Formats: sequence, structure tokens, C-alpha cells
Amino acid sequence: MPAVPRQTRSGRVRITGMFWRIYKRLLWASRGRLALAIVAVASGATVCAALVNLELDSSDKLTREFRTLGANVIVAPATMAGESATMEQRVIDQIGDPIGDGIGSIGTPEAAEIVAASPYLYLAAQAGEPTHAVPVIVAGAWLDQVARMNSWWQVQGQRVTERDDPARCMAGRAAASSLHLAPGDRVKLRHDGRELSCAVAGVVIAGGSEDSQIFVSLAAAQHLSGREGRISLVQMSVRGDAPEIDGVVQRLAGALPGLEVRPVRQLAAAEGRLLERIRGLLVATVLLILVLSALGVLAAMAGLALERRSDVGLMKALGGSVRSIMRLFLAEAATVGVLGGIIGSGAGLLVAQWIGRSVFSAAVTPRLVVAPVTVAVMVMVALAGALPLRLLGRVRPAEILRNE
Amino acid sequence: MTPLVQIENVGRKYGAVRALDNVSFEVAPGEWIAIMGPSGSGKTTLINILGGLDRPSSGRAVVDGMDVGSLGERELTRYRAEKIGFIFQQFHLVPYLSAVENVMLAQYFHSVADEAEASRALERVGLGHRLTHLPSQLSGGEQQRVALARALINHPKLILADEPTGNLDEANEQIVLELLQELRAAGHTLLLVTHSQEIGRMADRRIELAHGHLAQIVANVT
Repeated sequence: MPAVPRQTRSGRVRITGMFWRIYKRLLWASRGRLALAIVAVASGATVCAALVNLELDSSDKLTREFRTLGANVIVAPATMAGESATMEQRVIDQIGDPIGDGIGSIGTPEAAEIVAASPYLYLAAQAGEPTHAVPVIVAGAWLDQVARMNSWWQVQGQRVTERDDPARCMAGRAAASSLHLAPGDRVKLRHDGRELSCAVAGVVIAGGSEDSQIFVSLAAAQHLSGREGRISLVQMSVRGDAPEIDGVVQRLAGALPGLEVRPVRQLAAAEGRLLERIRGLLVATVLLILVLSALGVLAAMAGLALERRSDVGLMKALGGSVRSIMRLFLAEAATVGVLGGIIGSGAGLLVAQWIGRSVFSAAVTPRLVVAPVTVAVMVMVALAGALPLRLLGRVRPAEILRNE
Repeated sequence: MTPLVQIENVGRKYGAVRALDNVSFEVAPGEWIAIMGPSGSGKTTLINILGGLDRPSSGRAVVDGMDVGSLGERELTRYRAEKIGFIFQQFHLVPYLSAVENVMLAQYFHSVADEAEASRALERVGLGHRLTHLPSQLSGGEQQRVALARALINHPKLILADEPTGNLDEANEQIVLELLQELRAAGHTLLLVTHSQEIGRMADRRIELAHGHLAQIVANVT
């Protein structure tokens, strides 16, 4: 059935022009309900955009946080045979001095970075007066790097932050307890007739084997043990996820033949699991919020749909197709999604920044992709919530017009 | 002359209720038919079937050669847009569109909205000064005149009016009746549901329904 052609003349409004004209009138007429729907969408979008921004940024931020939890890569002699197995201290030169420009790096600039690294020399020594000597494990290390690698340690007193301070040392809690040491006390350490005396700067509470060790500078430990230029192992804290750390391990293993380079699997796996859980939690939260937003839109649109029943019946009676009528209403719903999405994206970024500063003490890097994705998702949410409007397509004009 | 409307044994049941039962008549092009009868006699049902808003349960309703009851949804939509002009007792204007936009709405669903043409249509019914007014800013008579302009804007083959003066005061009723007379003079085919004997006598013929049956067809002598 061909449409009767309408003559083109001045003042003509094209179909698209009329569409937008009706659309604007619809928006203005329903501004109250639509504002409610926009608030629902914008609230959802704010939380979603904030969480997605955080999620995208959190791997990096959390990995940085994890790097305060101690070493995650060890370089040691190929055969570990107690404290006697040692290697040349210059191994550390092949790894790179993490002090250099602040944080050293291995391989390409994109590779995971070394947060801290320290050579360690362990020896069994006697502590205290000869008549009341107590056996202790002495750990000689770069004390500045030990502090950096284990910033989560609780320390009573002070940390030793200089690399080679022979006069000061730190005592693990258990060692300090058995030797009755407190910050400021002096302790004498003996090994094979050699003696070292140092002032206890702080008592370390680590919750691990470190609690029964006494930390001295590497040079002092080497002198005490008579193993100048020798170390037991190197502990490193490397930033990155499990594959990146594995990459570092492989590159180091290639560069250090004859030595064993291994990741501290338990820690890496725990970090990975935690990241996965956080990601799962974020995804579940985002999905829940999207559903709640859609329900919010649904509630606002249900009221709107009731008001529109007679309009739809009339439009159908005037020859409006379901498609052309629904296009108007869905454009309205999409507008709710776009406006809510834009407002929410901006607000979400601000919330993410606030959370970033509160939790990570660092600004969250804005991800450009989040805004368009949030808007697109919110348009879909609004269209899903506009189900009551879509059901208006089923309105039978005769019934509506008769009941008016 | 080939009839514009052919109603052949049309029946319409809603469950056990027979709203129309075996109604038959024809309408020639340019005729003005008044459909009369008490409430519940099937007048509105008949108009709805002719307007493509309802389908007959039995029989055929043919308008301009098209069997309305057999049209698919899409064809029915085009039929309503191109062949029919509706005028309702309650006016049924879209409340958030201005007078001229209400007329343009019918154009939009038909083909192309043309504001100048819609304005002229409103000027013809005496509302040239009310183009941008919303329905809530118009009197009942003015609203019905907007509905009249809207019904005519697409040059429909058949104008269906359901109690078009039922909600109007006497003065406005007179204005609308004069406009309907003009339509008749211009050769439009008009089926008008009314309770008014006076309006019934203005038509070419009166089709009287009772309990869904065709009671009688009366030709008015002019």
C-alpha cells in the first residue's frame, strides 16, 4: 500500500525532525520521572565506574602494596647445604644495585622492577657473655634494603636505615627476649673466636623466622664469620604478577649460571589468589549494582508507561507503527542511560580518586576506556529497565480509547 | 457507483457477548452516514472495525476495496494512517504536543510532517491563532477542531467520528457541525456515531442499530 506522497514545500519538517521534536516534548513532559531514572542510573554508574577504575588500577597498586611483604625471589647457591654453602658477593653486581637510581630494573624497561634486594650471610653465633652464651642466628645484610623490603615489620625502637652501620644492629623479638635485650642495649656476638659488639637499635616483630635472628650489616657478619666477600643468598622483592616474576626468574637464571634462582611460590600464589578474589568481588558488585540500577529505572518507567498508555493507543489509531512509537520511548530511555552514564563516569572517577588516596595513598590513574564503556553499559541498563515502555507496544487502541 | 464501504454479515463477539450480529450495508463515496442506536447497540464496535482498531469475528468489512479484517498488523497500520481519519468524543490529543504538533503527528505517521500544511489545516478550522497552544490551554470545542484538522490532514478516504459533539456545549457543537457540513460539501465520506436526532437528520442516511443488529436504514429526504 504505497504512501500518499506529500508535497515538499517551505516549512517542511523531515520525519527525523519531527521525531526529535516529539522526543524533546516527551522528555520535558516526563522530566520528573526521568530525573528519578537518571538518578538511579547515575548512582549505579558512579559506583560501577569507580570500581572499574579501581579494578584496572588495583593490580598495579596492590602489587606495589604486596612488595612491602618481603622477598619474593631468592638467588642462592645451587646446592643448599646449610650455612656453609655460600657464593661470591659480586653476584649482586650482576643483578643490579637497586639503590642506584632508586629502583633498579632487569632486562627491558617493561620488565617487572626490583623494589629492593639484599645479599644475606647467615651464621650461627653465640650471643651474650661467655658464661651465659645463647646461640643465635646472625643475619648479615644490607640493612637499608632489608628495611625497604620489609616495611610491614613492626619495630620497637628504630630501624637501621644505613647499609653498612657496624655499630648498630636489630634483634628479632624471640632473640631479644632470650637475651633480655631492649632498644639501646648492647649485644656481643661471637663466632670462631671473633667478636662483634653492636647497639640494638630496634626489636623486630615479623611473625616468622626473622624473630629469632639478629640483623647486622653484611660487612660486619662477613668479618665475624671470616667469610669476606661471601654471601649465603640474595633476597629480592620484585614487582609484578606471577608471569612477570617468572620472567625475571628466568632472565636471572640465564645470567647467573650455576646458581639457583627461584620465586617464593607461596607468596606469589597468595598474591595471585588475592588479586583474583578482589577482581571477582568487584565484578560481582558491579553486576549487582547494574541489576539494581535497572530495577530503579524499571520502577520509574513503570509509572511512565501507565501515563503513556492512552498516548500509545492514540498514536496507533493514527497509524503509528509499534516500531515508530517504541523508537520514541526507547530514545527517551537511552537518553536516561547516556546522561546517567556521563554523570556517573565523572562522579565515579572522583570516587575512585578518593578511594585511591584513602586506601593506596596514591591517585588512581584515569582510564579513558571506562567512560564510554560505562555510558554504553548504562544505556543497555536503561533499555533493560524500560521494559514497561516496550510492553506498551501491545496496547490495543480500541480498548484504550474506549476506556478514556 | 462502486461503494466505498461494504459491510457484509459482520459479527463481533466478546466472549459470550455479541456486540454485532450479522450487520450488512454499503456506503457510497461522498455519503454522510449517521450511525444511531442506544448505548451497547454496537455503534462504536462498528466504527472500530471500519477503522482497523478491531476485527470482525465473522463477515467482511471492505473499505476502498480492502478487506479490513484480513489485513496483517503492518498493513492495518498503513490502512489507519492512509485511509482513515478518526474523530473521538474525548478529542484524544497528545497532551504534551501543541495544536500544530498534534496535527503534524498524523502527518508524521502517514509520511512526512509538514508544519505549513498543518498550520493551514488549523487555520481552516479557525485556530490559526492557537497553533502553539497545548491541549490544556484550549477549550473543548477548540480541541475537537484540532482533532478535526488532524483527521483531515492526510486526505483520508473515510472519516469516522464517534460522538464528535458529545462533550461540547451548544456553541461549540454548532461550530463542529458546520465544519462537518463543509466536509460533506467537499465530498468527504463520513460515518458519524451520534445519539442526536438533529445530527442524524443532517446525514444522507441513518443506520440504526439495536442490540448489535441492524434495526433499520433510513434515507433522509433533503
